Amino acid sequence: MRQPVRITVNGRELEADADTRKLLVNLLRDDLELTGTHFGCGTGTCGACTVMLNGRCVKSCCVLAVDADGAELLTIEGVANDAPHPVQQALAECHGVQCGFCTPGMVLSAIELLQDNPAPSDAEIREALAGNLCRCTGYVNIVAAVQLAATRMAQGDA
Amino acid sequence: MGYIGQRIPGRNNLRLARGAGQFTADVQMPNPCFMALVRSPYAHAEIEHVDVSAAQGLPGVIDIATAAEVAQATRPFSFARPPEVEVNLADMDGKRLREYALAERWVGYSGRPVAAVVAEDPNTAAEAAERVAVQYRELPVVASAEDALKPGSPGAIPGWNDNLVFHTRYAKGDAASAIAKAPGVITGRVQVQRHVPVPLEPRAFVADYSTRTGRLTMYASTQMPHTDRSILAGALGMASEDVQVIQPDVGGGFGCKVPGSDEEVLVAFFARRLERPVRWTEERSEYFLACGHARETWFDFEAGYREDGKLLALRIDAVADIGLPFGAWVQSSVTAYCLPCGYAVDHCEVSMRSVVTNKCKWGGYRGFGKEAASFCMERIMDRIADAAGLDRVEVRLCNFIPADAFPYGQVSGALLDSGNYQGAMAKLLALVDQEAFRQEQAAARTNGRCLGLGIGFELTPEGCSMPNSDFLQGWDGATVRMDPGGRVTVLTGVTSPGSGNETGIAMIVADELGVPLDTVTVVQGDTDRCPYGLGNFSSRSLMIGGSAALAAARELREKLLSVGAKMLDADPEDLELANGEIRVAAAPAPPAADAPRNPGGPAWSVPIRRVARKIYSHAFGAETAHVEPGLESTRYFRIGNVHHQPETEGRLSFYPTWPFMAVAVVVEVDVETGFVEVLRCAAVHDCGTVVNPTLVEANTHGGIAQGLGAALYEELLHDDAAQLLTTTLMDYTLPTAVEMPAELSVAHQETPTAATPLGAKGAGESGVAGPMAAVASAVEDALGVEGLALMTLPLKPERVWRSIREVAGAVQMGETA
Ligand code: FES
Ligand code: FES
Repeated sequence: MRQPVRITVNGRELEADADTRKLLVNLLRDDLELTGTHFGCGTGTCGACTVMLNGRCVKSCCVLAVDADGAELLTIEGVANDAPHPVQQALAECHGVQCGFCTPGMVLSAIELLQDNPAPSDAEIREALAGNLCRCTGYVNIVAAVQLAATRMAQGDA
Repeated sequence: MGYIGQRIPGRNNLRLARGAGQFTADVQMPNPCFMALVRSPYAHAEIEHVDVSAAQGLPGVIDIATAAEVAQATRPFSFARPPEVEVNLADMDGKRLREYALAERWVGYSGRPVAAVVAEDPNTAAEAAERVAVQYRELPVVASAEDALKPGSPGAIPGWNDNLVFHTRYAKGDAASAIAKAPGVITGRVQVQRHVPVPLEPRAFVADYSTRTGRLTMYASTQMPHTDRSILAGALGMASEDVQVIQPDVGGGFGCKVPGSDEEVLVAFFARRLERPVRWTEERSEYFLACGHARETWFDFEAGYREDGKLLALRIDAVADIGLPFGAWVQSSVTAYCLPCGYAVDHCEVSMRSVVTNKCKWGGYRGFGKEAASFCMERIMDRIADAAGLDRVEVRLCNFIPADAFPYGQVSGALLDSGNYQGAMAKLLALVDQEAFRQEQAAARTNGRCLGLGIGFELTPEGCSMPNSDFLQGWDGATVRMDPGGRVTVLTGVTSPGSGNETGIAMIVADELGVPLDTVTVVQGDTDRCPYGLGNFSSRSLMIGGSAALAAARELREKLLSVGAKMLDADPEDLELANGEIRVAAAPAPPAADAPRNPGGPAWSVPIRRVARKIYSHAFGAETAHVEPGLESTRYFRIGNVHHQPETEGRLSFYPTWPFMAVAVVVEVDVETGFVEVLRCAAVHDCGTVVNPTLVEANTHGGIAQGLGAALYEELLHDDAAQLLTTTLMDYTLPTAVEMPAELSVAHQETPTAATPLGAKGAGESGVAGPMAAVASAVEDALGVEGLALMTLPLKPERVWRSIREVAGAVQMGETA
């Protein structure tokens, strides 16, 4: 069965005719070719598919595409224009990226955290990223990067 | 000043952080179709009948393959050899096993592909796969190595006279009589559980076949593109020239993305048959079922020691449950090969039986068997310390191979190139103030909190090079070219699954050519473009691939200097390359450099790009006619300290470099629940010359995370019928940012190796065994219960809780705590 879906993705209004079984992550990746959102588990555990739906982070493998009808989505492709977002810049500088598969999801979770809490403690950062698995970094440099981004964003110099 | 030794973050970081990575599943192809597999629900069964009719009728289904068709169109794997190699009919002691990508009549583990479906979209493919009806006749299941070794055990593989695939044995001295004479003797069993690497990116393959060119293009999430090409060409009966393997960004490998999987062969098979792009991305549950397990081994040990803790004699009888004998089961032999790791033991006997069961085959996993060996030795050291009433660190120090004894021949014949284990331990102890910790521990105790400190040491040999191996070789190729504009391209046979070696290799080449780092591009993972190479495993990419790139860059350097010397009218010996120019070594600081050295004479320096341009555009000129045209060099590098000629060299030694790590962790244990929290972790790592500390540390952080995961959470569990019970990330739990210690630091000691030109040893694989051992040790220290020996991981709350209650005096301890 197919159903029309109207969503705003990264500020662009889009219309798609989606299989009702299709997951939001697959709509983004396959139909819209926004492949920065990754698929790592399909059970809501790894966080590689994290996107923002109406301003809050969700695991897009746990949302049916048709359920996103009318929603506003932000994916990794939309978090910055020319200059990278401070979180992205800090992840690169702190070497909080290795294979990079978890990174887009981490970026979105970190952005959400810094919206809610511009000066988080390390423990609060860890808590906020607990839904995003990384198998490469041991999270050490990721936590450092989020701290750096928070500092820069607070100073407004990023 | 050069780049080597500097802290430089990975060059792909920003691209990946912006979501612009291109992983295999991101590769776009026109008009793709999607594969799904029918997998056996039984661990051991005969296939009586496969009925695909219900799937065929489903709209959107394009093709269904049964085992018979695949058997006709492809060549089988032998468990001893990939299909492109003439199969060795005796395989191993008369034991044979041939398997096609789909099981024909027999399935030997649960999850084995039995039929394959291709459809217009993934959901239809999955639905069609569910409609394929397979009739099985169950066979007796061999669910554990223990069962497999019982006399009269059913065979895990029909036709084999027993379940033993390989018996590795090493001996030195006379362990039996030395143990009999030893003042103290301990015995016990150390157990390492079954693990999987779990890269965050699942396996993925996308293939297309062109009838016009007769070529197959495979995009693969693989660690070894050239080996993959050989295997695919062999399996499909194609010339390897007609197969191109491209490795896009890889989302982690850790050993499990080695080539030769059923799934990949099937994707290639369908692409050729349908002449259409075919895609497959693994479901996470399929990863757990079928990608490849690792590590499950037990060690029965008997150790004789002296009052001062010196290990006099050691016997280890190990058994590894390797599942079906495909893939990387050789890891179990590597475990035996490494024992007794960094310790000197005069009398030592090692036996390792690699036993088949009806579980998934082994795949490579970080540590490649070395982690099990180190974990075993560390537990033995702690047991000696406890039995002799000695400090755990002291016991290690008195047993380490002395720093002046290298190169050191270990029991297996392995030649350990270099080391300074005492130095690493001393450096660690300087970071971890034991005395201060004891005070902290005592203070915490009075508040009812149980803190513990544990120390672990690991030896992680790197650069594996096996004789007569189609996979594991200690050499590699690289091409370095400079274009007429002075930009440099490095093409390597090694690859990066996300570990950062492309950045390290670029640094090496930039230094050698004296050019800015951002003018060096590194190309990896394309069999049409890159020179032949073995890819990524055993932390080889920087030390072997980087050395090949260095050799190629050196050739270019000589030519640039030779032409530069003519252009500057100087002796090549008096020149240096740096900052993008060739200059007379005695040159004054810029801007005077551009000025003529004497009126009307040559300049002090010339930009390298101008020299490059000259070589390309003026090949018959006075400055260039003496050198070969072009600026490109391909070189192969063979690493030192590999010994494959026992007749003349007196040994078989297949690991050239032997990095190591000492690590300490502090844990807190909740006595009521058995819950363990890791509070702090500090490590001293030694991989010889460090090319880029940032990269080495970051890789080690990841290794430590995997070690802590193994220590506390991770474990594949099967039931009595060998059904896997842990098939999601909710059952097989990885550490999140919350579980990782708030403080984690990695320091370096640099003991260079003579096996590589830069003195660099392998880095990246380290970090697993040390934390496993240190956590076990720390939990024991925290509980302070006499006789408590945690010899089996993971230390899940239940296991800790039970262990506490199993040993005498536990109740009092709970009261005093
Ligand atoms: S793919 Fe959605 S959480 Fe893993
Ligand atoms: S960088 Fe590889 S999973 Fe996080």
